[in-house]
Amino acid sequence: MRGVNRQARIGRIGLYLLLIWTCLFFSIPLLVVIATSLKTSDEVRTFSIFSLPSAPGFAAWVKAWYSACTGLNCGGVHVGFWNSVRILIPSVIISIFAGSVTGYALSHWRVRGANIIMLFLLLGAFIPYQVILYPLVKMFSTVGIYSTLPCIIAVHVLFGLPVMSLLFRNFYAGLPEELVKAARIDGAGFWRIFAWVMLPMSVNILIVATILQTTGIWNDYLLGLIFAGRDNIPMTVQLNAISTTSTGVIEYNVNTAAALLTALPPLLIYFFSGRYFVRGITAGAVKG
Amino acid sequence: MLAPTVLVMLVCFYGSALWTVYISMTRSFLLPTYIFAGGAQYQRLFHTPRWQVAYGNMFLFGALDIVGTLFLGTLLAVLLDRRVRFEGVFRTIMLYPLSISFIVTGLTWQWVLSPTIGFEHFVRGLGWTNFVFDWITRPDRAIYTLVFAGIWHQSGLIMAIMLAGLRGVDREIWRAIRVEGIPAWRAYINIVLPMLRPLMVTCIVLIAIAVVKSYDLVVAMTNGGPGFASDLPGKFVVDFEFERANIGQASAAATVMLGSVLAIVAPYLYFELARTNR
Amino acid sequence: MSAVSVLGLSKSFGPLRVLRDIDLPVEAGDFTVLLGPSGCGKSTLLNAIAGLEDIDSGRIEIGGVDVTQQEPSKRGIAMVFQSYALYPTMSVRGNLSFGLRVKSTPKREVERRIAWASRLLQLDELLDRKPSQLSGGQRQRVAIGRALVQQAKVFLFDEPLSNLDAKLRTEMRVELKRLHKELGATIIYVTHDQIEAMTLATRIAVMRAGRIEQYAAPDSLYEQPETLFVAGFVGSPAMNFLRGALVGGIAPAVRVGATTLPLNGYAFRAPPSGGRDLVVGIRPEHIGLATHGQEPCAVDADTLFMEPMGADTLGWFRCGAHRIAARLPPQVARRISGSVRLNFAMDQVSLFDPASEARL
Repeated sequence: MRGVNRQARIGRIGLYLLLIWTCLFFSIPLLVVIATSLKTSDEVRTFSIFSLPSAPGFAAWVKAWYSACTGLNCGGVHVGFWNSVRILIPSVIISIFAGSVTGYALSHWRVRGANIIMLFLLLGAFIPYQVILYPLVKMFSTVGIYSTLPCIIAVHVLFGLPVMSLLFRNFYAGLPEELVKAARIDGAGFWRIFAWVMLPMSVNILIVATILQTTGIWNDYLLGLIFAGRDNIPMTVQLNAISTTSTGVIEYNVNTAAALLTALPPLLIYFFSGRYFVRGITAGAVKG
Repeated sequence: MLAPTVLVMLVCFYGSALWTVYISMTRSFLLPTYIFAGGAQYQRLFHTPRWQVAYGNMFLFGALDIVGTLFLGTLLAVLLDRRVRFEGVFRTIMLYPLSISFIVTGLTWQWVLSPTIGFEHFVRGLGWTNFVFDWITRPDRAIYTLVFAGIWHQSGLIMAIMLAGLRGVDREIWRAIRVEGIPAWRAYINIVLPMLRPLMVTCIVLIAIAVVKSYDLVVAMTNGGPGFASDLPGKFVVDFEFERANIGQASAAATVMLGSVLAIVAPYLYFELARTNR
Repeated sequence: MSAVSVLGLSKSFGPLRVLRDIDLPVEAGDFTVLLGPSGCGKSTLLNAIAGLEDIDSGRIEIGGVDVTQQEPSKRGIAMVFQSYALYPTMSVRGNLSFGLRVKSTPKREVERRIAWASRLLQLDELLDRKPSQLSGGQRQRVAIGRALVQQAKVFLFDEPLSNLDAKLRTEMRVELKRLHKELGATIIYVTHDQIEAMTLATRIAVMRAGRIEQYAAPDSLYEQPETLFVAGFVGSPAMNFLRGALVGGIAPAVRVGATTLPLNGYAFRAPPSGGRDLVVGIRPEHIGLATHGQEPCAVDADTLFMEPMGADTLGWFRCGAHRIAARLPPQVARRISGSVRLNFAMDQVSLFDPASEARL
């Protein structure tokens, strides 16, 4: 009923313009990469990354998948893809399991020094990887599993533990104490309560944790570089190797296709999980 | 059940961290030796030109990244707080960069900012044949390009956090603001955003730590180059440990990194605890 | 100070009609209270007058000016909220002055107004504190102060005392009454507490389900309620209601159960028709123990129980099919039991139509 005054209207338009402008800032790099990946090899020779493909096709994608070269190996990124998958699945499962159990124990069971442990977990989440790399390498070498699949999985679990534990701990602390107490009075033990009481109520947080870990582990580069070994090179590592080989003409279309293939899994998870993704990232971020 | 996890973690993490710190005070070079050398490694470190660049870059990059991300993220949160249509679409677009690894982010921005195929080339093609934007290849400007990529990647996160904070502001305060006739922009600057100061501090801490840890982004975008003009401590440590095989120097650098993180986190945690205990 | 006129105001939230054709003429200097149970629309009406809510139809005039299309800040109003809505990061002085500074009020004027409001509300020692360092009552005074410095024409209060404890509430009630007297301000005040309304208001608008049932001075509301709802809502303990039938004739009377009670000089709105059903409303203080010389208005009742309330005792009785309450002196109440005869002051009753609930 109230008339919209002119100043408010201009303000509104300005607001939308700003938002659209920023969205362009966010989307153009991606669009540019997609466009480039659809170009043919000829177009790539003398081109601008901002030009549209004249005859868009997925040839570059196929090439990236099957025959992109890193140094002397020309196996394509599908090698890295399956390596990443093999690293991802056990790592996610184990780290979520470990994190949830630890979080559960810290929230509902009287553990001595629980607060100190949580402090250490919190600090542990902040410690830069670089500080711990070399000693870890030495340890794994001594045990003999350095540069193997179990090695990289163990590393991912280790580095994921602080964040996961805190995530689950905060979630479980929000659940009513009476549930656990009632179950204990009924005679259930630690594991039974975990399986029958905690887990069923944890669906939301499990989704969030899975998204957080999957994105983090899939997108990891440094740990994969150091610990995975040549046989298990993850997709991100392979991608970088492909893109920085500077022999001859740089096949930008292949490189961008490879980049997109690497970015696709977490991106798809993001688009399909929306709310959970945001909750996961902010939860992982706002722990304190 | 808790014991093994705790034990494993404690040993691996803190044991390793302490070991690194210790090594940084020894005479180690190729292989660790346990001959104590006090601060000798640190002295050498801070006389190494490459480290000086990397360390300085960390502050430069950090400051710009923090300010830029905080500014953009808060601005976007404020805009979205004004009840816009298609909020979901806008948020989706602003947040997707978070799902992209730093490697892909770095490569993408490397391509976009490259003078040969990227922005400069594009603008020249449009007719401005003298347009120059080759920051990514200039030693004195390369580090700033990292800032673009950093802001691009993380503004969304700050936006999400700040928006949640804004949404938590008591609606009656907004009504009071409206009745007093205070224009929205002044309300944000003088009333609402100051209420979110603790949240902003959290955001600053998060980005600061990400800056200290940066490795993937540098590698993908500039590989520390040209030369080592855009090097960062994170990369310095890894290079010195595995390529240059100088454990002593690497450990010293890593300890400095650790120290930087602690210098940020410790006061923050202390203030947070003090605040919640009040 | 100005008058406020609300004419034909209606508002719906989707299919829900929250306000139905409200007319509310408030005179300059009035202390008008919007009283009613939750969900009756009183807060919505206040927000509509403030301009915080759009309306579907009707007109709002403040000081003779049509403000229906205006933003709240252009209506010449100031508002005090239930949760005070103070700006948490500013000092009390900052809270008081910010609105003025934004409008580029000269510094000296700002200082003058703050000094005036501060003296009026005893805020002098609090000026440099932050809201978090103040008690509930102090915050409330700052909120009122913030409204005062605006030098508005009309002050709107949205349940400002409901967050305070009982003792503080009584203190603040006195404060508000004093302020009203000193400033001669036009105030529109929302509350669900009828005691607050009765003590503060010059006129009360009793609302139910989006309509104003009666808009009158507290005394009129109490003694001459227009509807059954108003009669039962205003006054504590509540009015007693008994079903009965009218006995027509030269001396109208009312039959309740087996008893016929005379109506002496009841002012009927329209000539009554004999035999019709009605509801008799009588307040507890108008029922007492019958002494032998008052047979015509006496009724038989059985004692149920006594509720000592300090100065009086509320006695509960069963009278036929009804349960009624009577205010009795404590000494008398202590000695009552079993069957008694109660005397009704029939010149103080209100009669209502059972269907329309309107006063007869």
